[in-house]
Amino acid sequence: MAARGPGLPRLGARAKNVAAPLALMLLIVAAWEILVRALGVDSYILPPPSDVVAAIYLERALIFRHLRVTLFEIGAGYLLACAVGFVLSVVIVYSKAFRRGVLPLIVASQTIPVIAIAPILVIWFGYNDIPRIIITALVAFFPLTVSFVTGLESLEPELINFFRSLNASPLQIFLKLRLPAALPNIFAGLKVASTLAVIGATIGEWVGASAGLGYLMAQDTQQINTTRVFAALVVLGVCGIVFFASVSLLQRLFMPWVYGHMRLPWRRRTELSVAVAKPAA
Amino acid sequence: MAAAKLHISDLHYTYAGDRGPGVTAIENVHLSLASEDFVSLIGPSGCGKSTLFNLIAGLLVPDAGVVMLDGTSIVGRPGSVAYMMQRDLLLPWRTVLDNLVLGPELAGKPLAEARDRARNLLHRFGLAGFEHAYPAALSGGMRQRAALLRTILCERSVILLDEPFGALDALTRASMHEWLLGIQREFHRTMILITHDPDEAVYLSHRVYVATARPMRIGGIVDIDLPPDRQREVTLTPAFAEHKRQVLALLHEPAAAGRRAS
Repeated sequence: MAARGPGLPRLGARAKNVAAPLALMLLIVAAWEILVRALGVDSYILPPPSDVVAAIYLERALIFRHLRVTLFEIGAGYLLACAVGFVLSVVIVYSKAFRRGVLPLIVASQTIPVIAIAPILVIWFGYNDIPRIIITALVAFFPLTVSFVTGLESLEPELINFFRSLNASPLQIFLKLRLPAALPNIFAGLKVASTLAVIGATIGEWVGASAGLGYLMAQDTQQINTTRVFAALVVLGVCGIVFFASVSLLQRLFMPWVYGHMRLPWRRRTELSVAVAKPAA
Repeated sequence: MAAAKLHISDLHYTYAGDRGPGVTAIENVHLSLASEDFVSLIGPSGCGKSTLFNLIAGLLVPDAGVVMLDGTSIVGRPGSVAYMMQRDLLLPWRTVLDNLVLGPELAGKPLAEARDRARNLLHRFGLAGFEHAYPAALSGGMRQRAALLRTILCERSVILLDEPFGALDALTRASMHEWLLGIQREFHRTMILITHDPDEAVYLSHRVYVATARPMRIGGIVDIDLPPDRQREVTLTPAFAEHKRQVLALLHEPAAAGRRAS
């Protein structure tokens, strides 16, 4: 039981961190519910939260069928953005010429509104997943690339000299030095991109699709089915939060030197935490 | 003197200037170390001592001169000598143990063996119980000892120490000196220490090279005639004071000459 002693206050602090936004949200939802009902607002203008929850439950088959499509686009677009961002950043860091030539174009690509090129992508690739995956990737890859580059360059030159004095190969310097040193920035980029990917997929579906939550919302907006628009919105929002939280969890797992080793239920307390605890004694 | 362990002669190095002539950093430097020698290189800061180490370590290639280790040239060949830089440069994402075995790991040597050797030496280096801690949990003295153990585990006969104790407080530094002398004898290493502390230089060394600034030359050599297994008390003896006086005189000589010339 002594082992759980130091863990408890931290757990309490974390519970407080979760409780505060949760309480605020409940307060807002309650006020929303009461005001809408008290003022008699029509549900096509602003549905009460209880109706939205009911719609999610009653139309779960429809909503989750569309959700599957959107989740696939988010996942595929995100992975594509990660792959492209990673390759681009490595080449930018290692080649001055590429950096000079390509970096301005990457920045310029961000000034083009995605909503404008989305229809063109549909013309090129047709009514399938590909244009929407590309749009998702297009929205997400820029912050990824920028933070990957920042991370890979965040190295002190002394460290490279030190590795060179150990006769390390360029590949070893990349894998054992640049990459781990870049992890904080890499994860910062991955987190921002996770929220952007959700937005990207929705925009893509809004512009041209035959399925997906974005498509459903566009349809329902035209038919003034506001309750179902909100229902789709809530489901999408929850997915975005879960996605973001998953990336944060990955970060904790990959960077134990910053966050400490997590006390996961399936990983027993090891000699490791004992060693860290010793200096205090 | 018997065949030198590390022999450096006629070393020249000039930093290329953007325009016009470059800056000469090292000029005509000679150093010769016997096996298990401990020599210090003392000089004003910014005089090019670190450049000299980068040349010996193979990170820079000299314009002229020889660097021989056991009779073989090691010019431009990194990894021939072990190099402990000014800052400890422990990798924050690796545990102490994983930091210690970095040298053998990068050299492609068997990791399990290196880990065993590191574990056996943890106690001698005051790191027992910390092998699974991250460097952030270590004190300044422990970090330097970890960095030195990492350097020892590179298994090189010559070790370059670039102001390893510069950032430590006086008390920690004094205890590190005694400990370092013990380590050097125990592990039979040849060491060159860069410092700008005359006490440190005289206390630790068999020989002190005094460098002049810009370009760096060897301005004088002081042989330290103190017992090899010296204790801290030796710093209070007249012999120690005399050696220190010689080093200080050599350090101030070029500056005085400069003043006279102007």
